[in-house]
Amino acid sequence: MDSLNTLWLSTGLANFELGQVIMMVVGCGLLYLAIARNFEPLLLLPMGFGAILTNIPVAGFSEVGGLLHYIYYAGIDTGIFPLIIFMGVGAMTDFGALIGNPKTLLLGAAAQFGIFATLFGAIALNYIPGIEFTLKDASAIAIIGGADGPTAIFLASKLAPELLGAIAVAAYSYMALVPIIQPPIMRALTSEKERKIEMAQLRPVTKIEKIIFPLGVLLMTIFFLPSATPLVGMFCLGNLMRESGVVDRLSSTAQNELINITTIFLGLGVGSKLSSEAFLNVETLGILALGAVAFSIGTASGVLMAKLMNKFSKVPINPLIGAAGVSAVPMAARVANKVGLESNPHNFLLMHAMGPNVAGVLGSAVAAGILLALVGT
Amino acid sequence: MNNMQQQFLEAGTLMLAGMVFVFVFLSILIVFINTVLAKLAVKFPDPVVASSSRTNKKSKSKNDGGVSPAVVSAISGAVKRYRSQHGQDK
Repeated sequence: MDSLNTLWLSTGLANFELGQVIMMVVGCGLLYLAIARNFEPLLLLPMGFGAILTNIPVAGFSEVGGLLHYIYYAGIDTGIFPLIIFMGVGAMTDFGALIGNPKTLLLGAAAQFGIFATLFGAIALNYIPGIEFTLKDASAIAIIGGADGPTAIFLASKLAPELLGAIAVAAYSYMALVPIIQPPIMRALTSEKERKIEMAQLRPVTKIEKIIFPLGVLLMTIFFLPSATPLVGMFCLGNLMRESGVVDRLSSTAQNELINITTIFLGLGVGSKLSSEAFLNVETLGILALGAVAFSIGTASGVLMAKLMNKFSKVPINPLIGAAGVSAVPMAARVANKVGLESNPHNFLLMHAMGPNVAGVLGSAVAAGILLALVGT
Repeated sequence: MNNMQQQFLEAGTLMLAGMVFVFVFLSILIVFINTVLAKLAVKFPDPVVASSSRTNKKSKSKNDGGVSPAVVSAISGAVKRYRSQHGQDK
């Protein structure tokens, strides 16, 4: 009888707490979004599964000795996983469109306003009882506006590890929602005439430019913002491997096998942070709300900057490409292209939108570096 | 309350400093592209891109096909003739 009792006590049914059940449902929700809705499935699937695993009673996945505990501490706490992913993203990025039209860097800069404006919002949420965000927390939340998953996870793991789960969920959900969030804002801020603007063809970009560009970016980061060099450095390494053309094997590994392996572990590690204590509170709701605000402001400021540039520039600039400044490569560029095609079926903006798009990646890495330098100490 | 004001002030400073820095950083990058890279591009032109004024991507895919201009003109001539004959048939 005694041993039967012990057996019962070791079952999941006897040990379930309500919070764990709710978090498992949240995990299943993420799986649903990934599988049925195809929302960022590469990350949301392992993340949702990680959320289920970490909430299994007795098994202790996220306690010392548990698998997810070690995955988290080896890869996310140290910042290694997001940085490896950033290297892969660098190896996948073609800066040609940016070098061909360098002005678009300004659009990538303008869209980062979403990040810094959200800082205010996060601090303002402190008026709501039950929410208490420090400036570090606020910075980690605000980076969601950069629309860059690895950057958000990297910064959150440094500034506010206890909010990491919620921040990662918000960042990746909104990145998946870019095609829904952005178009209404883009249409509201532009006129039909502006959306019809056709842009001049990009100038040809030579190989040597593409090789020197990542080195130049790295050099500037070393000079002006060393705190951003982990992100920018890995990104430039990946990009140099791609553009140099001499290490195709490494480049292909970085953008395929390596990034895939790391994504599995990153997803699991982030999922392990989705425990009921860390996730089921008012702060998570606040983070989800702020993430949407950050995205919207970033999109709006990118479009407005493009409108401004169009007024003063000799060559026409379609304001829609400003929305692509919020990184989220290449989804945001595709959205700009799609909205442009609705107004003018012969106007393909994709290549033009890739410029601000990759500029947004650099911009959000720079913004993360600034936040680390100013708040992280 | 005072604490909140302090935090708002800090957030404001951060916003101002951050935006200014992002813009300055990326503007320097623009200057870098327009001066250093543009000069390099003139000095060391790409053999492939120099021959065509199209964007890099297009010229690459053109290269991959490995079709010489002579063959292209022969094919397009044949297509033109076929089309004109085809049109007369109707």
